[in-house]
Amino acid sequence: MVAKGVGEGVISQLRRGVLEFCVLALLRDEERYGFEIVRTLSEADGLVTSEGTVYPLLSRLRKEGVVETTWRESPTGPPRRYYHLTPTGRSLLSAFSAEWVRFTTSVDNLLETGALR
Amino acid sequence: MTTTTMHPLAAKYLRRLEREARRLPRGERRELVEEIAAHLSEAIDPDMLDADALTVLDRLGAPEDIVQAERPETLEPHGLGLQQWAAILLLAFGGFLFFVGWFAGVLLLWTSRAWTVREKLIGTLVVPGGLATLPAALVITSSTTVCSGGVGQVHCTGGPSTIHTIADFVLVAFLVLGPIFSAVYLTKRAR
Repeated sequence: MVAKGVGEGVISQLRRGVLEFCVLALLRDEERYGFEIVRTLSEADGLVTSEGTVYPLLSRLRKEGVVETTWRESPTGPPRRYYHLTPTGRSLLSAFSAEWVRFTTSVDNLLETGALR
Repeated sequence: MTTTTMHPLAAKYLRRLEREARRLPRGERRELVEEIAAHLSEAIDPDMLDADALTVLDRLGAPEDIVQAERPETLEPHGLGLQQWAAILLLAFGGFLFFVGWFAGVLLLWTSRAWTVREKLIGTLVVPGGLATLPAALVITSSTTVCSGGVGQVHCTGGPSTIHTIADFVLVAFLVLGPIFSAVYLTKRAR
């Protein structure tokens, strides 16, 4: 169905665009390690289609200076790489948060009521 | 971590990933493989049921997709386009055009982004000149045949116009099968 196809295309673009901010949001209050981030994201309905693609995203965020990593010993195996936000990451996250609220409020409004109330 | 301590399906997946990741720069490749290996060791116990392991691997996604996510701008699949087909055909048959065709094939091969350096080396070295190398070799060596001798006995040396040793046979097989193998190899490996 055409409508379904369009909907899916837009949603997957949105997903791609928004995923990195979801990662940043997970790191807002605590540092987390890679597997933890991936698993938490994949538990959120509709966010992640392929868990493995989160790792290249994490790697890119690190290269861009948005997050930093620290190796820590793990009780159950090899050392784990923990991610935390840099100041840049923190300001990116809050800027996105504000924009996102604005954006979704408008869209939700229109979708629900068919008009601007 | 060694693959012997992993679940066999996880090990197989990791090998697939390593293969796909060869097109990445070494640093990125190593890091990605390490991260995924760490994920696999957390998510899949060595004695897990195959079905459960497969579920984890499904959630992880296809290795090609993960590598693609690492480098979307430079790794869009080219597949077998015009340049790739031309390269493959010229490498195999271009030698018959006084070898100029083969060199053209080499040029097209190395300027294409559909293959890794290793794949390109194999395409070039197996066999230089392509299928034309064997006939050329036969022509060159038969012209060095020297015959001498007197009445009733002609003794010729040099120039193998016949295959009479195992070494000759192996060489001929190589010169014929090599280019065929190369062509098939490049066709299958084109990305």
